[in-house]
Amino acid sequence: MLRQLEDMTVKIMRPIGAVGIVASAALVLAACGSQPGSTNSSTPTSGAATAATGTANVVCGGKTPLSGEGSTAQKTAMDVFAQQYTKACPGQVVNYNATGSGAGVKQFNAKQVDFGGSDSALSGADVDAANARCGGNPAWNLPLVVGPVAIAYKLDGVSSLTLNGEVAAKIFNGQIKTWNDPALTAINPGVNLPSKPIQVFSRSDDSGTTDNFQHYLAASSKGAWTQGTGKAFKGGTGNGAQGSNGVATGIRAADGAIGYVESSYVTNGLTAAKLDSGSGGVELSPANVGKALDAAVFAHPGSNDLAMDLDKIYAANTPGAYPLLLATYEIVCSKGYDADTAKAVKAFLTVSATTAQQPIADKGFVPLPQSLQDKVLTAINAIS
Amino acid sequence: MTSTLSDTEQPALSPAFQQVSVGRKVKNGTATVLVWLSFLLAVVPLVWVLYTVIVNGIKVIPYSNWWTQDFGSVLSDEVGGGVLHAIIGTLEQGLVCAIISVPLGLMVAIYLVEYGRGGGFSKVTTFMVDILSGVPSIVAALFIYALWITTFGLPRSGFAVSLALVLLMIPVVVRSAEEMLRIVPDDLREASYALGVPKWKTITKVVLPTALSGIITGIMMALARVMGETAPLLVLVGYSAYVNWNLFNHEQAALPLLMNNERATNTMDPGTVGFDRIWGAALTLVIIIALINLIATGVSRMVAPKKK
Repeated sequence: MLRQLEDMTVKIMRPIGAVGIVASAALVLAACGSQPGSTNSSTPTSGAATAATGTANVVCGGKTPLSGEGSTAQKTAMDVFAQQYTKACPGQVVNYNATGSGAGVKQFNAKQVDFGGSDSALSGADVDAANARCGGNPAWNLPLVVGPVAIAYKLDGVSSLTLNGEVAAKIFNGQIKTWNDPALTAINPGVNLPSKPIQVFSRSDDSGTTDNFQHYLAASSKGAWTQGTGKAFKGGTGNGAQGSNGVATGIRAADGAIGYVESSYVTNGLTAAKLDSGSGGVELSPANVGKALDAAVFAHPGSNDLAMDLDKIYAANTPGAYPLLLATYEIVCSKGYDADTAKAVKAFLTVSATTAQQPIADKGFVPLPQSLQDKVLTAINAIS
Repeated sequence: MTSTLSDTEQPALSPAFQQVSVGRKVKNGTATVLVWLSFLLAVVPLVWVLYTVIVNGIKVIPYSNWWTQDFGSVLSDEVGGGVLHAIIGTLEQGLVCAIISVPLGLMVAIYLVEYGRGGGFSKVTTFMVDILSGVPSIVAALFIYALWITTFGLPRSGFAVSLALVLLMIPVVVRSAEEMLRIVPDDLREASYALGVPKWKTITKVVLPTALSGIITGIMMALARVMGETAPLLVLVGYSAYVNWNLFNHEQAALPLLMNNERATNTMDPGTVGFDRIWGAALTLVIIIALINLIATGVSRMVAPKKK
């Protein structure tokens, strides 16, 4: 029986097998000249880009491939960064593994990667571990990718939904269970909400997105969110799904589902809810996020560690500002790299903070505003 | 002629073989149907899987860039690029794993069959091999992580993956080689001894060549199995979208790892780039493993002992 099956496999495979042979021939050919060798050609990119992109003064060279790991939220942006980096510095590449913020910090602290990607700044024991990894020098959080988090839902017949911090908190901790709950209908006048049950989706893995989202709920819900914050979802209701993509897929599959994902995942049938901080529902748009970002406050003022105090943004009632945003950081050593790595890290981050910011706007992120970009570039230049 | 038979015309005994009784016919029929049903039940998912992989993966496979480029220059939602980097990783890691585990496994099998012969130590060895073959791949991966990365402080690499695969491959090689060596008739060994040939020469010149075809098939099957392993890849090496020939340093892609990476990055809806890439990579892996099995069949036919 097995033999028969094997023969069957072989029969089906035959025409494709021929391609395989061609491929292995090509494989040998490719061995003789694909990777450009260690080029030290410094190609300063023209910093003529518009908007807040500053001037890129890139000194190429150093370690290649550079390795990073972490947040899935910035993966799409990181792909663009890597592409722009190779464009600016031919022969230099970056490998970024999107395994989640928690894993990124762990691998950075274990010296397995050159920089970590995280949706929330280093905190607690991670700070000490990161400083130890950097040879006793402080590790810095550099916000390079700013993206709005969407409270995405799928509800047939409802194309516009407004939430505020309090209602969102009650949905995500299970107090509001149906779509036509009085609390929901009160802030959505004129919207015909059905009596379907609400299915909540959250991240099952440790995630900075979850951390930011819970911080938002805690800061804006006027005390309705008592579950606390952290990288694990604490609402105690609904379904968990792996990764932003898993949450988006989960919501898409169920009518009446709601969850939180980075705005770039709001596609194919998902809708982002408007947020009302007290001055009416505000739509998720780059301009509205930019307004919220202008009010950014840093956790360590005057330092090159640019961890942001997002709670202030979440709690603010700025008219026309969309407050639920996520700053994803690159976690780097201020000192303690070997010369080769430091050179490559600086080159990569410089490209990412400048020429690569405009292209990521197409992917659902918000380019760094001028003020923030200046600070980031100062920090990058200080790495040694 | 009357229709009634007289007593003398009737046979004294009823014939030994009568027509098959209805009860037995029913039993036979039921058994046949059940066997066929279970055969179909076993085959349907296999064929279904194969069909799904081919139908979904065929779209990207015919393009030459699929086999000659990597994903380094294309974004995750852009059409183009290829899986050369992952093919290189899969083949390199599989090959190095085979180089380590085949000699080890083969020698263990030879010891068990030719020297151990049911002694206490060989019983312990067999028991250990059995335990090892039951170790889940994630446990093998974590063991290597603890040893290679935590204890020795070495970086994650393709070689660490190979080491974890060795743990999974050795028991399979030992078991299959052992079976093959056991079915070599003792007559051959005795004939060899009778001619005054020493034991080691009997093993290398008589026993091994006789069993070689079966051993090679076993090795190739084991190789095909470990090349599709996923858990060690997730734990022991980072993904890279670029070609990396270096097994000992930096991130290195492999086909299952590539699929996992694309799944984490892209939406899986049909028609999207991520969908095409994942199924294309799956089909590529199936093709590579089918090719290996094909080569195994060919080689084992070539080295099989001549009949007649």
